[in-house]
Amino acid sequence: MHPATKPNPNQSDAVLEVNNSAHEKLYLHPGQLFASRQSHAVTTILGSCVAVCLWDPVRKIGGINHYLLPAFTGDGVASPRFGNIAIAELLEQLTALGCRKRDLQAKLFGGACVIAAFRNRTNHLGWENIQSAEKILGREEIPVVGKDTGGDKGRKLIFHTDDGSAWVKRL
Amino acid sequence: MASRKILLVDDSETILQMEQMILQRDGYELVIARDGEEGVAKALATQPDLILMDVVMPKLDGFAAVKRLRENAQTSAVPIVMVTTQSEATAMECGYESGCNDYVIKPIDSLELITKVRNLLGD
Repeated sequence: MHPATKPNPNQSDAVLEVNNSAHEKLYLHPGQLFASRQSHAVTTILGSCVAVCLWDPVRKIGGINHYLLPAFTGDGVASPRFGNIAIAELLEQLTALGCRKRDLQAKLFGGACVIAAFRNRTNHLGWENIQSAEKILGREEIPVVGKDTGGDKGRKLIFHTDDGSAWVKRL
Repeated sequence: MASRKILLVDDSETILQMEQMILQRDGYELVIARDGEEGVAKALATQPDLILMDVVMPKLDGFAAVKRLRENAQTSAVPIVMVTTQSEATAMECGYESGCNDYVIKPIDSLELITKVRNLLGD
C-alpha cells in the first residue's frame, strides 16, 4: 500500500514479488524494534505477535516493532517484548530521529489466532496484542492507515522505512 | 479432570529441564522425546494437547517432524510451538508452512512460553 493512497484500514498488500533492491535488508526478531533515516526493508515473521509500523510522511522516516505480549504489568523484566513498551520505545526512537508524533501514521500486522475453536473468543493472545496497539495508538492520536490482523495464519511482513509501504504474505 | 499433556521434543537436556521447570508449575503432564523421530512416535502414541518442538535435532529435524504430524489425521490439529534460536528464526517461514502454530526464541522467557501455551490450550 502506498501511503499516498486513500487510507483503507482493512486493506493489506499481497506479496507476490517484493523489490527490496534499493533497501538495506534487516531481519527483526520478536522483542526487537528498529527505526532509521536510511532506507531499510525490514522483515519479520508474525504469529500471535503484532508488529506496529510507524512512518512520518513529511520526513520519510519509519520504524517497526515486533512484540509478543500485550502489556507489561510488573511481572518479569520490562522490555519491548511487551506492546506498551515496544510502542513507547519506537515512538521515542522516531522522535529522536526528528519525527513529529502528530505527523506519524501507523500500520498494524499480526495477532493471529491459529486455533479455530478459540477464534471467536475475545481473549486470545493475538486479539489482546491487537487491542493493546489500537488502544495505545488511539491515545497517542496516531491514525491507523492500514492493517492486516487476526485470522488463522502466520504472516511474513516486509516494511520499508523510507516510504512506509508494507507487504504481507500469509503463511 | 485430567491435566493437559504437553510433549517436549528437544535434543538439549538443558532446554528440556528449563521447559519442564516452567510448565510443571502450571500442573501440565509432560512427555519427553529427544529427537524428531521419537517426537513423532510419541505424539502418535500419547496424543498430547500441545507440542513444543525444537528445530535442529538428530534423525529428523523439527520442521520435517511437524510436516509428518500434520499429514497424520491423529495429529493434524495438535497445536505445535517451535522452539528456535535467533539465527534459526529467519527460517520460521518454513516452520509455518510446515504447519506450526507459533514459535518462541531461546533463551526461553518463562512468561512468554507459559502465555503462549495457555493461549493455544485455551486456558
